[in-house]
Amino acid sequence: MRKLLAVVKREYIQRVRSKMFIVLTVLLPTAISLFGIVPALVLSIRTPPLRVAVIDQTGKMYVQLRQSLNRDSSDDAPSDNVNQLRGFSRRGLGSFVLEEVTLSNQSLEQVRANLDQRLRVRELDGYLILPPDFLSEGKAEFFNRNPGDIVSQGTMQSALNRASREQRLIEAKVDDKTRKQLFKPIELVGVRVGATGQERDSGATFALVFGIGFVMYLSILMYGQIVLGAVVEEKETRIAEILFSSIRPFTLMLGKLVGVSLVALTQLAIWGLAFSAFALYGVNLLASRGITIRVPGIPLLHYIYFGLFFLLGYFIYATAYALVGSMVTTAQEGGQLAMPIILLLVVSFYLFLPVGRSPDSPFAFWVSIIPFSAPVAMVVRIVTQTPPFWQIALSLFIGFSSVLLIMWIASRIYRVGMLMYGKRASIPEAIRWARQS
Amino acid sequence: MAANEVTVSLNGVSKSFGEFTAVKKLSLSVRAGRVFGLLGPNGAGKTTTIRMIVNITAPDSGNILLFGRKFDARLQDRIGYLPEERGLYRRMRISDQLRFFAEIRNVRGKLIESKIDEWLARVKLSEWKHKRSMELSKGMQQKIQFITSVIHDPDLLILDEPFSGLDPINVELLKDIVLDLKRAGKTIIFSTHQMEIAEKICDDICLLNRSQKIFEGTLREIKSSFGRNAVAVRCEGGDGVLDDPVLVSKVVRHADEAQALLAAGADAQTLLKRLIDSGAVIGKFEMMEPSLNDIFITKVTEAA
Repeated sequence: MRKLLAVVKREYIQRVRSKMFIVLTVLLPTAISLFGIVPALVLSIRTPPLRVAVIDQTGKMYVQLRQSLNRDSSDDAPSDNVNQLRGFSRRGLGSFVLEEVTLSNQSLEQVRANLDQRLRVRELDGYLILPPDFLSEGKAEFFNRNPGDIVSQGTMQSALNRASREQRLIEAKVDDKTRKQLFKPIELVGVRVGATGQERDSGATFALVFGIGFVMYLSILMYGQIVLGAVVEEKETRIAEILFSSIRPFTLMLGKLVGVSLVALTQLAIWGLAFSAFALYGVNLLASRGITIRVPGIPLLHYIYFGLFFLLGYFIYATAYALVGSMVTTAQEGGQLAMPIILLLVVSFYLFLPVGRSPDSPFAFWVSIIPFSAPVAMVVRIVTQTPPFWQIALSLFIGFSSVLLIMWIASRIYRVGMLMYGKRASIPEAIRWARQS
Repeated sequence: MAANEVTVSLNGVSKSFGEFTAVKKLSLSVRAGRVFGLLGPNGAGKTTTIRMIVNITAPDSGNILLFGRKFDARLQDRIGYLPEERGLYRRMRISDQLRFFAEIRNVRGKLIESKIDEWLARVKLSEWKHKRSMELSKGMQQKIQFITSVIHDPDLLILDEPFSGLDPINVELLKDIVLDLKRAGKTIIFSTHQMEIAEKICDDICLLNRSQKIFEGTLREIKSSFGRNAVAVRCEGGDGVLDDPVLVSKVVRHADEAQALLAAGADAQTLLKRLIDSGAVIGKFEMMEPSLNDIFITKVTEAA
């Protein structure tokens, strides 16, 4: 026990004291907020509006189009992200100044030649030709200098869409009131039916599950490599042999894993506290403006489950990294060999979609028992349709037993592999090493 | 500790890696309170033998007893081991490093600090206590590695090529420490292929060659078994005489002196007479014991 503590202490103190740790702890949140802010800043850069001439051969569309372009996208469903983006960009990137051009005795070709000329001298950025049969055929042409500007083109297209829809309805003699009624967006509220009766659930629980899965995913990506490095460290520095005369490989492995995990948890706790403080500040700020944010009503027991499954997820993947570490001689080599683990992690993460859709299916049951997918799958099931306690207990039991088993195998491979300097173990070799000694 | 108490005994131990036999039916016993040298050329099986003693690899057959019993985890704290492949945590401070190695051998917390200071003073590295090991020279690191193997005051100390790469001053320093530890009643096993050092500090030796034992016994025994069949000669002229294979089986010439190993059946008197007859001016002619190096080479060639 003292030996284990000595290893844990060394791993923890050496890492927490390192500059890397301090820099990363401060820098990562800064970097993430930069990634959040910079795109918004870039998108909000104003560009001059596009000057577009419209040759409206239908004689009815110009006014409609103009209205449609100026109107906010309020008649689209608010949850439609694509339209929100367009609405955003209309204010920023894709605004238009329209100009109507009539044919007035000239042929279309003459007018176009004239417009092309204006396009060339940059009096104009583009022109739109609505043929006489536009309303029935629904085809128009947009000539411009920059067809790569997909945002403006998209904005133009959806504006035309709305305008023609409006015009067709007018021609079908639908009155104003009915038209408004037709385009009124609907609101879909997800109501969860639980044991306690009906409760409103605005998807916050799902966001929470996603959040847990995501944090787990991130911390594995970050710390898996560190666990691997820690396991390889003694091989690279040739300390392993000194250690093995005084400590059992399993104790060493366990100590390393726990030590690095405590570092990970310390870092996550620092970020968590910083984020909570930030969020609390934000919520208060909103509250002072009369906006309240409801925290989803989740029973305390579920939070305990979340914690347990988070730890399970972390440890199952961390031991997988340790296993890889036991087979290789340098951390770089391990990085390549660890690719399947990342793949497994990604697949398990996306299982939240099918499991969330049918949480009581046999498929959902099995993936929530298999250790590598259990952490995300079981949490999704708990949140959506809490499975019977025995399933949760079974999943945890199998999961943590697997952690110990993988660690045991890893320590055996490690013990033999340590003596083979400068040579990576092949899979059959690793199996043989695990059997002998 | 009784003089004849056996600290380590190997009984018919064999170990092979695939096709290659590293150690073949090796039996030996290391007596308590003595310095035991495991000698042999590269690839003789010294390191494998040591690894089996400290339970890093298990023998394929035969058994090993430490302090009269089979290896178990509690024995680990009574053994100090300095492997041939050794290193330090590069970024760790020396004091933290030594503390860690003491802790994993269950040294009590209060003792550790004084032990660290004591040992650093002994190897003359006290002022490096708070430096990181990557800042130390290779020789300094080697002395720190040595401390890691003795910081827990082990009863049995096993050193695999402890002197390789050290300068003569540090070889001397380490040698004195080993002899001090012996005086304190510790048992020391070390392997080397540097015979001059082995000759100076070993009580008992075991010669290994090609995975087999070719000799085991006290240094005295092996030396007297070879008899005084070497001669140190300093003379001017008469060179051809020393090269006569009938008289001399091997000659090593140093700066002003030559060492001649007498051929089987030849005697020193004849050699001296031949030298005088050849007109050589003799400055020195001394019968001496063969060096361990000579014995080693003779034994190895005999075995081959």
